[in-house]
Amino acid sequence: MNYSRNELIKTEATMNQMRNSLYILVRFMEKNGIKNSTEIFRRMGRSIARTYFNYWKPTDFIKISNLKDVITTIYKNVLNSTISIEINDTEKLVIVRDYKCALCKYQYDDVEIAGCEILLGMISEFISLISKESTEPNSIFLDPIEVKESRANGNKSCLQLYRYKISGEA
Amino acid sequence: MGAFQWLMKKITKVFGRSTNSLFYVLLNREILKEVNEITKNEENSLLILREIGKKAAYESCERHSGVFKFMPGNPKKILDYFEILWVVVFGSELEDYSYEEISNEGSKYNDYVLTISKCPICAGYGQDEEDSFDFNKLKGIETEGLACGLCGMLESVANFILKIKRNDYRIQIIEQDCIAKGGNNLKFICKIHDYKEWAALSASRISERNSKGIYLDEDTEEEILQETKLDIIDKLQDIISIDKLEEYLDEPLESLKEKVAEIIRDKLNMEPEHFFDYFRNYEDDMIRIIGYLGMHLLNEYGGLLEKTLKNEWFSKIFGYLFKQLKNMTLLFIPLDVIRDYNKLLVSFIEGLAPEEMVDNIRLFSGKDTINYLFEGAQMALENLGIDFSELKENIWEELTKERDDGLVSSETSTADKTREKVPQIINILQEFLMIINDILTLPIRVIISESHYGIKTAINSVVSEEEGLYGSIKERFDNIFDQIQDIRK
Repeated sequence: MNYSRNELIKTEATMNQMRNSLYILVRFMEKNGIKNSTEIFRRMGRSIARTYFNYWKPTDFIKISNLKDVITTIYKNVLNSTISIEINDTEKLVIVRDYKCALCKYQYDDVEIAGCEILLGMISEFISLISKESTEPNSIFLDPIEVKESRANGNKSCLQLYRYKISGEA
Repeated sequence: MGAFQWLMKKITKVFGRSTNSLFYVLLNREILKEVNEITKNEENSLLILREIGKKAAYESCERHSGVFKFMPGNPKKILDYFEILWVVVFGSELEDYSYEEISNEGSKYNDYVLTISKCPICAGYGQDEEDSFDFNKLKGIETEGLACGLCGMLESVANFILKIKRNDYRIQIIEQDCIAKGGNNLKFICKIHDYKEWAALSASRISERNSKGIYLDEDTEEEILQETKLDIIDKLQDIISIDKLEEYLDEPLESLKEKVAEIIRDKLNMEPEHFFDYFRNYEDDMIRIIGYLGMHLLNEYGGLLEKTLKNEWFSKIFGYLFKQLKNMTLLFIPLDVIRDYNKLLVSFIEGLAPEEMVDNIRLFSGKDTINYLFEGAQMALENLGIDFSELKENIWEELTKERDDGLVSSETSTADKTREKVPQIINILQEFLMIINDILTLPIRVIISESHYGIKTAINSVVSEEEGLYGSIKERFDNIFDQIQDIRK
């Protein structure tokens, strides 16, 4: 009897080689004329979230009051990352800073995309999946905006930006 | 499992960047799916995923080449240490696997089949809508499976070790059975090729890919540059690889002395007595050098110690631990025990060094020897980044000072994070203190058993390995590694 995906949630795996694989994938895509690698990375993230959600979710509902905690919990449980998070109510922005991003560490001269574009897709999809299932009237939905800074681009940390929407609001 | 193998696995695991295994497995799946989006051919996609894995692991190995210097440099032994390869690549323990050796007539080495009963990469594959890579579309019987990327990584790490060990053989690892493809287990077949065969195999792999229209940055495994500067570990790698270290632990003291004498004759082209003669009348310096080199040797493991000490906090913690160890050794260890250690040193050096030198060392009190060793070790630690002049009387004063000065950010989350780490630091200190207590009983055991049994016998209890000193220390280090892992999170 093989492992189940539920069992995998309780164990950890080293990302070093897998992280490198992402940048080799980008080079392969570019060699084959693929231009929208950012969109592809986000699609990968969304797909990961959809499967992951079948085995684990941090909460049953998301409101603006627990949004920070939910995002922090996802980063901690899935990625082993301790992040700092800021919410800008005026522009409806969620700003996540990760000093030890699981998918970005080294700067590559020939690759412009940051590995954590995958996380933008994954986190926003995770939040949206929870909200779609919840009965909470003011549920939150996230849209990825951009990776503003990344260790893959030579910055000291990764800075990921999302925009949130509250259901029912215009 | 040998002590060094265990230690290497632990260190590799603690200092890697880990995530949840399910995330890892799903990311592997997504890479394969995206490759397949481009190739529109399942067989080709698997070939590419394997190559991606190979290149990714090679890149990682090049960055941390020091880590592999302690691995044995012979293909058969590398396969014996397959568990370490697995931990380096995947990061978690390899559970329930078996080996089968298949005779390969006309070849220096046999083939090996590794059967792993549970495959994390295939876990639950096919149960979710997003598991859309269809293995039923594979036509070739010899195609690999979902773990082919992992397989490429393992092959790459194994061959990187052989390359840095200047070995002419290379290992080919092929995924033969895959659970996602309908197999019962994950099965790898490992074939060992000489360098010529390997070069031909690599060339045929490249031309096969090219004929299928798959273009990747091709392998450029460089020949080993003979003029490469060799560091101390390169020079000693035949002697201090983990397989050899495990063997030494099994040797009685007399055989260990013979081995040291052989090494001096073989590597330095001189008789041991001549070698030690250089230190005559500088015996105290020789002991300092042992302490100094001991620390630097520790650092040779990928420069880990130096890198760790670059972090101000780790540097301070290590400094305080060292100071405490130094004080405790002299304050609490009974003089008899210190004398035992000195006796052990004298018995070791007797017969290797000139008589006069042995007599001079015999004149040292145990306390002198310990002090010299610590002085040497402290010099090395200063080189590696600990500023002992900045350390307070003890670590508690340091913690209070940071809080009073407000050097730790007043932001709640940061303060919380720091506070969260304190219990782990205390636990680490406690475990180290317990290890010191355990070690205190060692010398007398060694002396008693030296003429009949190996050092390992002295370390292990007569009851069982797990209940003896080895088991106890191993358990404490397990706890220490767990605490470090928690701190790093």
